[in-house]
Amino acid sequence: MAERIEPDLNFVKNIISSGGGSLKKCFQCATCSVVCKLSPDGKPFPRKEMIHAQWGLKNRLMGDPDIWLCHQCSDCTAYCPRGAKPGEVIGAIRNQFIQNYSAFGFLGKMVSSPSYLIILLVIPVLILLGVLFHLGNLDFTAIPRGEEGVIVFYYFMPHIYVIVIYVALVMFAFFSFVVGVVRYWKELLKNRKEVESPPSGSIVGSIVGAVKEILLHKRFKKCGVERGRKISHLLTFYGFIGLAIGTAWATVKKYGFGMMPPFPLSDPMQWLTNASSVALFVGLGMIIFNRLKDKSKAGIGSYFDWFFIVILAVTGVTGMAAQVFRLADMGVSAYTSYFLHLVFIFYLFAYAPFSKFAHMVYRTAAMVFESHTLRKIPLAAQADK
Amino acid sequence: MEKKIGVYICTDCEIGSALDIDQLRKVAKKMKVPVVKENSLLCMKEGIEFIKNDIDQEGVNAVIIAACSPRVNYDTFNLDVPLIERVNLREGVIWSHPPDDEDTQMMAEDYVRMGILKMQKMEAPEPHKIEDIVRSILVVGGGIAGITAANEAAMAGYDVSLVERDELLGGWLAKLHKQAPTKPPYTDLEEPLIKGLIKEVQQNSRIKIYTSSKIEKIEGAPGLYDVTVRTNGTTESFKSGAIVLGAGVVPYDATKITHLGFGQYPNVITNYMVEELASKGQIMRPSDGKPAKSVAFIQCAGQRDEEHLPYCSATCCVESLKHAKYIRNQDPSVKVYIFYKDMRTPGHYEHFYKAIQNDPGVFLTKGDVKGITEEEDKNLVVEVENSLIGEDIQVGVDLVVLAIGAVPVTALGEEKLPPGVNPGDAFIPYVMIETDTLNLDYRQGGELPALSKGYPDSNFICFPYETRRTGIYAAGPVRSPMDMPSAMEDATGAALKAIQCIELASRGEAVHPRAGDTSSADFFMQKCTQCKRCTEECPFGAINEDEKSNPLYSVTRCRRCAVCLGACPERIISFKNYSVDMIGTMVKKIEIPDEDEEKPRVIVFACENDAYPAIDLAGLHRLNYTPFVRVIPLRCVGSVNLAWIADALSKGIDGILLLGCQHGEDYQCHMATGSHLAEIRLSKVAETLDRLKLESGRVQMTQTSIADYYKIPQILDDFLEKLDGFGPNPYKGF
Repeated sequence: MAERIEPDLNFVKNIISSGGGSLKKCFQCATCSVVCKLSPDGKPFPRKEMIHAQWGLKNRLMGDPDIWLCHQCSDCTAYCPRGAKPGEVIGAIRNQFIQNYSAFGFLGKMVSSPSYLIILLVIPVLILLGVLFHLGNLDFTAIPRGEEGVIVFYYFMPHIYVIVIYVALVMFAFFSFVVGVVRYWKELLKNRKEVESPPSGSIVGSIVGAVKEILLHKRFKKCGVERGRKISHLLTFYGFIGLAIGTAWATVKKYGFGMMPPFPLSDPMQWLTNASSVALFVGLGMIIFNRLKDKSKAGIGSYFDWFFIVILAVTGVTGMAAQVFRLADMGVSAYTSYFLHLVFIFYLFAYAPFSKFAHMVYRTAAMVFESHTLRKIPLAAQADK
Repeated sequence: MEKKIGVYICTDCEIGSALDIDQLRKVAKKMKVPVVKENSLLCMKEGIEFIKNDIDQEGVNAVIIAACSPRVNYDTFNLDVPLIERVNLREGVIWSHPPDDEDTQMMAEDYVRMGILKMQKMEAPEPHKIEDIVRSILVVGGGIAGITAANEAAMAGYDVSLVERDELLGGWLAKLHKQAPTKPPYTDLEEPLIKGLIKEVQQNSRIKIYTSSKIEKIEGAPGLYDVTVRTNGTTESFKSGAIVLGAGVVPYDATKITHLGFGQYPNVITNYMVEELASKGQIMRPSDGKPAKSVAFIQCAGQRDEEHLPYCSATCCVESLKHAKYIRNQDPSVKVYIFYKDMRTPGHYEHFYKAIQNDPGVFLTKGDVKGITEEEDKNLVVEVENSLIGEDIQVGVDLVVLAIGAVPVTALGEEKLPPGVNPGDAFIPYVMIETDTLNLDYRQGGELPALSKGYPDSNFICFPYETRRTGIYAAGPVRSPMDMPSAMEDATGAALKAIQCIELASRGEAVHPRAGDTSSADFFMQKCTQCKRCTEECPFGAINEDEKSNPLYSVTRCRRCAVCLGACPERIISFKNYSVDMIGTMVKKIEIPDEDEEKPRVIVFACENDAYPAIDLAGLHRLNYTPFVRVIPLRCVGSVNLAWIADALSKGIDGILLLGCQHGEDYQCHMATGSHLAEIRLSKVAETLDRLKLESGRVQMTQTSIADYYKIPQILDDFLEKLDGFGPNPYKGF
């Protein structure tokens, strides 16, 4: 029996307004699915996603693993004869997806719209200024110094405050993600056609496989137009992980071993964090450079994309600046940088489930699902083996 | 007039070095040609002067140029003499055969001999000039094609009578709410152009308009038609020189498309009805008069469908896109679905397609519409298979629009075959559909012979606007499915054709494809047996009959194909410069070498329109082919008289090959049915061959086209090989 369908006109308009403006140009030639090296042979993407989006078939897209299996290499966009930019459209669908699945959908709308940028920034600024006001630290020239007069951020903003605020944020983000992933998974199972992909193997095995693939960045290797993508994403990815580990280690040292920061530059963990920062900068720099260089072929990207890239970069830059100014003994600059660093970290964590940051979770979920349901791997990949 | 023949042999272009010119001269001298000369610069100014000198000084009035193909330098050799004949020594002999060769030389000598014989049998044609020619054009149909043809003809200085069946001019286009874009950026709807054109035609003093009128009768022939028009019970007669048929189309009967629910469900309407609704203001559901909130368009409804119209009507895709825009402009919350087989938006319409596609409320998919069902509130559910969505889908809508096609007016009537011809016969000379449109006083019937799907066009690629009635040109969608700009272009072309026809007729010249030919058929009536073969077989219906079945030949209807010459069993039809006797003599005078010389002889009767140019092209490409053939160009292979075949075979010719155009559904014959007739006649020649105790395979017809030139050597070799199997013609030497 044929399925009765009802297009959601608003969903179409939302995709168009969130970076998928070229959506309706698609005339279904399927060049995109042919050139895509990540697309599996059975029910390939992004051709079908394009018409589902044109027809506003929201439910199908919300339960579609393929919108996350797409890594936006932009080969499809480069080869599209009609200028429909499937890569960008799928990006916009992912944006809609994040808004749809996150626990607080209104935040998703705010994060993906430039008109809320200031409001979103003001929230962490006010909270952190409130803490400083409570501590009496609003005068940046009068912050107490440590031994030998060195700058110690602890006196500016004691770690306990940072930990309370940020642990709460991480938990909020985690909760949002769990809700989102559970909803997505249910929808995935619902949309799965039993005939084409019976679940098999253990879910743990699928998760391990997906994580391994992510750590090795295997799929990025196949990108054609955006060749630099693998290395830039890899650097950003590991840079970010390195910094997260460094931060976590510092917390453990302080509260586990009672060692007071700042730690000397000779500390191996400082090497790791500084090296990670460099990796992050280089990676992000490459991403920005490539995006600008290839904008005519691959599309410039949406506000949603740039929002995430810029926040990540600014977070790194302010963190590095805080360290440099601290070592240079430039008090006001150091405290200001540190303050901004905290603002942007707040931003990163608080809005993670609603920004592009969420791709880390949903893409992983889709990859686990893909492996779990034996969604076929591409022929090209088989040839590589 | 005493004929004085001069033979001029050109020795340039390798002719002089490849052939023995002295021998050629001797051939001519032996045939008592008074002037035989050679020149190495015949097509240059000096060469022309050289011939002109003889014309002036020696009184040469029949010039034979033995040089290049008649298809080249024809303007150079357009000398002011009554008779000119060309002997093709270059492309036909030395460029396609080895030089200094006995067989090549024999070929050249035969061609010179045949050229002289032809000239000896030829008389200068006298053009039938029409002094009182009517420089007025009858335009049938007052839609876009008719109006454009009328305007164009009037602008060129010709009077026009425009006859329209309806009360108002404009046809279907006048009923449009808006028209699809014709101007950059090709994305916006426009006010129908036809409104302005109607005013133009009404204000033009050269154009006389007859509305609410029909043509009761058209008698006569191009240049001198007598037209009778009936308007509201009164008749009026006038003269006309040529006719443009722009009678247009009518919508296909949607009630026949039963599987899509038209007539069964009130909310299933046609694209034509959308236009009416839009003109009235709002597109509403017929069931309750409420505005439609979701509308599905079903493209190709009863089109590209063997059970209905097998063709594409060329306009419905763009029209449905336009209708989608009507609806979306009316209410931006309405969802419009378009289910298509293929979205056909050629040329600039692609911009319009893109613009409509870009509207978020227009949902397009390819798919096969399986059926429509009705739900409560007279809502409809459309079921679509093989959609691009990925599976079979159902869509619920308020209103369904069927994009139905159009049928040419010329197809609306009862089909009638000529007497004695049955459906399914191998050869059907013409199909007459009695549509009460032109009511011609022609022996073959009152309308234009219907070709594919009831369209009257003779060959839409090679000769657009031409029909199988000389002087009557079809334009617009009555000739082929087309949109408005194409119909206007068409009408302009047809008007020009009509003007050409009048002017050529006034000078006594033929129209396409033998434009400028002043010859005409002469009937030796004393010997006529009233067998009606000429009147039935003339592809252009040029010959009427009197009460006693005598043929009544009309020179301005005639295209000079000479198919009648091939038809006549009494051989009473001839042209001054083309006759049974002329070709017969050429055939009989081909030198036949003795059997033991093993030099077979084959006559190739080649159509001058396609086959002969193909043979020429083979020469131009220096493709060598057998020297045992003798090629005789014909006006049409349909003019082959069986007498020639009998003459040739009884003389010892080993085989006869007819090279003609492709016939059948996608025929390319310039004379419409000539090549098919030739094949049919050949099938009947077997009897004669049996009587002569000859294999019927010695006579063969092969269909070819100019693009097949590279196949010519192979075609000839294959035929010779077949003849080899039969052995030499036993009549050799008799």
